Amino acid sequence: MAKFETHMLDELESGPWPSFVSDIKQEAANRAANPKGLDYQLPSDTLDDLLGLLELSYKEKETHWKHGGIVGVFGYGGGVIGRYCDQPEMFPGVAAFHTMRVAQPSGKYYNTAFLRELCDIWDLRGSGLTNMHGSTGDIVLLGTQTPQLEEIFWQLTHDMKNDLGGSGSNLRTPAACLGMSRCEFACYNTQDMCYQLTMDYQDELHRPAFPYKFKFKFDGCPNGCVCAMARSDFAVVGTWKDDIKIDNEIVKAYVGQAIKPNAGAHAGRDWGPFDIEKEVIERCPSQCMKWDGQKLTIKTADCVRCMHCINTMPKALHIGDERGATILLGAKAPVVDGAQLGSVLVPFISCEEPYDEIKEVIEKIWDWWMEEGKNRERVGETMKRLSFQKLLEATEIEPQPCQVKHPRTNPFIFFKESEVPGGWTRDLAAYRQRHQR
Amino acid sequence: MAGAITEEERKAVVDFLNGKSAAKSKFYFQDFLQVFPDKKPREVKKVLTALIDDGTLEYWSSGSTTMYGLKGAGKQSHAEGEE
Amino acid sequence: MTFISAGYDPKKPMEGRISDIGPHKYNQYFPPVIANNFGKWVYHEILEPGVLLHVAESGDKVYTVRVGGSRTMSITHIREICDIADKYCGGFVRWTTRNNIEFMCTDEATMKALRDDLNSRKFPGGSQKFPVGGTGACVCNMIHTQGWVHCHTPATDASGPVKCVMDALFEEFENMRMPAPVRVALACCINMCGAVHCSDIGLVGIHRKPPMIDHEWADQLCEIPLAVAACPTAAVRPTTVEFKGNKVKSIAIKDDRCMYCGNCYTMCPALPIADGEGDGIAIMIGGKVSNRITWPAFSKVVVAYIPNEPPRWPTLTKTVKHIVEVYAANARKYERVGDWANRIGWEEFFKLTGLPFTEQLIDDFREAAYYSWRQSTQFKF
Repeated sequence: MAKFETHMLDELESGPWPSFVSDIKQEAANRAANPKGLDYQLPSDTLDDLLGLLELSYKEKETHWKHGGIVGVFGYGGGVIGRYCDQPEMFPGVAAFHTMRVAQPSGKYYNTAFLRELCDIWDLRGSGLTNMHGSTGDIVLLGTQTPQLEEIFWQLTHDMKNDLGGSGSNLRTPAACLGMSRCEFACYNTQDMCYQLTMDYQDELHRPAFPYKFKFKFDGCPNGCVCAMARSDFAVVGTWKDDIKIDNEIVKAYVGQAIKPNAGAHAGRDWGPFDIEKEVIERCPSQCMKWDGQKLTIKTADCVRCMHCINTMPKALHIGDERGATILLGAKAPVVDGAQLGSVLVPFISCEEPYDEIKEVIEKIWDWWMEEGKNRERVGETMKRLSFQKLLEATEIEPQPCQVKHPRTNPFIFFKESEVPGGWTRDLAAYRQRHQR
Repeated sequence: MAGAITEEERKAVVDFLNGKSAAKSKFYFQDFLQVFPDKKPREVKKVLTALIDDGTLEYWSSGSTTMYGLKGAGKQSHAEGEE
Repeated sequence: MTFISAGYDPKKPMEGRISDIGPHKYNQYFPPVIANNFGKWVYHEILEPGVLLHVAESGDKVYTVRVGGSRTMSITHIREICDIADKYCGGFVRWTTRNNIEFMCTDEATMKALRDDLNSRKFPGGSQKFPVGGTGACVCNMIHTQGWVHCHTPATDASGPVKCVMDALFEEFENMRMPAPVRVALACCINMCGAVHCSDIGLVGIHRKPPMIDHEWADQLCEIPLAVAACPTAAVRPTTVEFKGNKVKSIAIKDDRCMYCGNCYTMCPALPIADGEGDGIAIMIGGKVSNRITWPAFSKVVVAYIPNEPPRWPTLTKTVKHIVEVYAANARKYERVGDWANRIGWEEFFKLTGLPFTEQLIDDFREAAYYSWRQSTQFKF
């Protein structure tokens, strides 16, 4: 028998999409039954209280959570988010209900032994509720009490050999697309770069010394499945420099309707026969392709690598062999000065282990931002405030046309004194010899 | 991880925080750069980390940002009942 | 309950401590077919909605069955996922960045049995546990934030509206008949801890009332300078007020500067912002992250406010479904929502959808506003 009536939440159990209410209820029932005979370290009716609290929020249309900032594990500035309920007498099981972020393997592949071990820890010491995964990419353990934090951390690090993720003014848990593990578009090993940099920057991830959060994301190609350009301060997006590889026999098969375009992604609707002119050639943003009925040609110098032709005919076209990545800097959500997408900083960089070239760029950016950034200023905002030129100076990167949409539209150029012959110290007396007052 | 720090470095941080305690108890990392004008941010971080590890300081996190303060100082530690 | 120690000694926090070890290395959890063909994949096909086939240079094939997952997930559910992965997939499973779960196997018969098994599992309330879909030109799973389940500044719930919207768009998750992929996302307040600013359809919780000020408690609960410093628009300032005949230190808020972000409430619980009647959801459309054909783009607000209507958010779901339907009926193949709106013009977008164009939809926030106004005589009557 449920502890609280949840008439409103019950209405979220119908309909085809997986119901989180049904799922929380099944976990509440599991805890009540306690099939493993555990000595639950949280009240066994914690999730009943969570449902009761949520029902109250549904009635009032207001949240009942308060933020808490002190709790964490010793020595780490991130990885734990404190939460307290503002009706602790009514719902004692969720009076304190903290979140822990657990570092995920890059690409989010698991075996069941790992998942079961994590579930066992969380069964004993937490609410049994998770997020798979949080927005940044961590496994999120949702809801435990303060005395359990160190115990969970101990078990994670000692038994599972796994660390917490980041929160606060830290390097946040980096994330990558599945990359070369299962995708023919991957221009570099996203998972490995993500893993190596995560390991190399553990101190930055756990001990806050940045003005604000800093996110890395690694996309293997310009399709951007992990949204690096929109969601990470430092986006590494795979690209290539040489020719797209074309198998014209297979192109003909697409044209002859023998293969479904776009790997069958549009198969649910009759769009008519595949028309290579209309669907590929005309859609190419840089108009770099030609089809003469027998042969597809691409003028590589004009190609901007948007992926459309490759996506549309993935059996016939393949990414080039001279591979690397573009680095884009400064993406962030709108608060406070408006949303930003990443801006091109390094058009092409090698992505070979041990990633020293990339790390050099990262560390120069951090040194600059740690020195110049204001409190709670994302690096994208520092760039806007201090100028792209200052960023180029700090990173020792050459200005290039591909870093801008277009050159500036005002002549208010801040020349450096050193750029002007003779500098800014001028001879007034000599001027007055040429000009009266 | 923390390295050794000098007594002067410890005192500078503790004095800075005690000097401001009437107004507030928590500060952003950037605020400590003024305590050590000759140090690079990464060196300042070493000092703060050492003081976290020996229990002099504690972190306070809003989830999105993190601040530093003297352990147990401020009104929120009481409000959260975590002292 | 007896406290069970794992080995940690609170008196000696550094003793035996392990830290800075990071995540596990990614390749420990590759199914053999993935490990064997790493970096050697040649092409892929979507065999049917939710089922992918990837073929490697070696000729090896991997079948992937993708199912929608609720981001908020219990360990009982995860254990069920493990049981399925053990039965069909050699004990391996992965998640996508959009909260989908992917089960992989190497032969077609297993794939079909797996797919049918996944589609057959239901919760007692009737919803599917593991709906197969989310591939190609579909409405994919929504990414979202915590909402009333766990956040302190939300203007709406997250899991609830997501459930309702995905119920309404379920057929489009299970089919591939959209002009292009449609990525829907929900952030429960403007801070967007899960960023939705580049989504085809982004739903954003918005507050519409500045925080209340609890003068009785402000100075007792909060360090006022911290609340002041937390405000991104400098709307919060310290002040002294008369409260029950006493002068007390408190806070003043310049209402017309407040952007309702709740950051001051994070620092100071005496500044509550939630308001059942004021809060609700804005709809933003036309963003994208992919570089395909057109550049990545921000989403634009097309509905300034929809009230919270728990438990099923009927106005929200109806409006989102309507936008998706109008898009699907009018856009060209491969055209994302924003590309379609840009091609036909936004005046045409509002005509086709019948959504009212209100003054709230004109940008007035700082410098970027100007660049959204129309500096041309080219427009449609």
